[in-house]
Amino acid sequence: MRRKIYTVFAAAVLLALTAPAFVHHALQAEYDTSKRGEFTGTLTRFALINPHVRWFFDVKKPDGTVLKWEVTAGGPGALRQNGMTRIFKVGDTYRVTYAPARNGSNLGRAVDFHFPDGRVVTLYHEDPNNPNDL
Amino acid sequence: MVRRLFRCGVTIALVVLSVWLFTVPATAQNAAAAAQAVPTTRTSDGKPDLSGFWGGGGGQGGEKPDEKGNLKFLQRGRPCSPLQVGTQECAPGVNFERDSGIRQRMNPNKPLYKPEFWERVQYLDLNGNAEDPGFGCYPLGVPRMGAPTKIVHIPGREVILLYNNKNTFRVIPVDGRPHDPINSLDQTWRGDAIGTWEGDTLVVDVVGLTGETWLAWPGYFHTNNMHVVERFTRQGNTLTWQATVEDPEVLMKPWVMNPVTLRLNPNPKAFMVEDLPCEERDLQHMVTKERG
Repeated sequence: MRRKIYTVFAAAVLLALTAPAFVHHALQAEYDTSKRGEFTGTLTRFALINPHVRWFFDVKKPDGTVLKWEVTAGGPGALRQNGMTRIFKVGDTYRVTYAPARNGSNLGRAVDFHFPDGRVVTLYHEDPNNPNDL
Repeated sequence: MVRRLFRCGVTIALVVLSVWLFTVPATAQNAAAAAQAVPTTRTSDGKPDLSGFWGGGGGQGGEKPDEKGNLKFLQRGRPCSPLQVGTQECAPGVNFERDSGIRQRMNPNKPLYKPEFWERVQYLDLNGNAEDPGFGCYPLGVPRMGAPTKIVHIPGREVILLYNNKNTFRVIPVDGRPHDPINSLDQTWRGDAIGTWEGDTLVVDVVGLTGETWLAWPGYFHTNNMHVVERFTRQGNTLTWQATVEDPEVLMKPWVMNPVTLRLNPNPKAFMVEDLPCEERDLQHMVTKERG
């Protein structure tokens, strides 16, 4: 009985605390966020679109062949609100870390972008192990 | 003993949460009451002036880069519990999506479908990642698009509703004309809408809607014979939007949606941000049906 009360209360808290929202793609349905991959590639297109910002890269392999890679982040709002939409330059080379797509395609959820001049831009979700993110 | 301590801890946590829970809304309620208490601005014909930028918007907040140009933008969600982390069942962003799904299914105000249609609702809910038109970048349509961001009210002629979402506009005539005979037979995302006044409330009657949209996230479908009545009420510096859905082919009774109350945005520089084009590229890569 007491457990039931706690459950109902927890549910009420959850309902009350959360703001109305529209549709979200479930991150975990598409990417394995417990894993990391990395590539270095040339940016060919930076797409400031909904529902997710996308970056397209050419990644040159040692044998000269080129792989097409795509990484995504959240909605475009985060970059736009800060006036940061022009920081990515097509033609520049970036080292990218990402959470890989579960279906094995050349796709990832972007974590860090290492810029040619050494800057690091992180566009990700909070770290569940970091108490500062509570 | 351990269990007792655990119970004690849970009780304290609940008490702290309750205090927090009931004080925050109280503050918001006070602010809303204060906004309602000011005199309602009226147009030349004596009706409440619906013009204004309603709710938040135009903010320039968020993370800024440090002096070296490094930027860290982390989307916040409910952190993983130690138990989730321990069992490796939680990773960044997971709770954000899961909470959203639970919350939307738990809204106790549900449209009451005829018994033979619940199976379809459940199918659509289960397969929402493919079936929800919102995921496919389609317009949300009336009434799922909700309350407008901005209103331009031209007394006795028309009320222009502007929505940030998908840069949408609606022009509602308030000059007493009936529904347009052609448009009300059309099938569109915004339908054929006309406005009339019931006292201080603008009542917008919408027909001619498509059957392609959903009413809400949990698979709530409808037919193209849906009839929607929206009510806009300005009290002081607040605007309340409320919609009622009639669709007797599939619903046992009209669905009275939860009202939404917005405050007049006091920022004279508040602006509508252009919503960027939408391109669906995720569905092909999804290996589960989970959505948020």
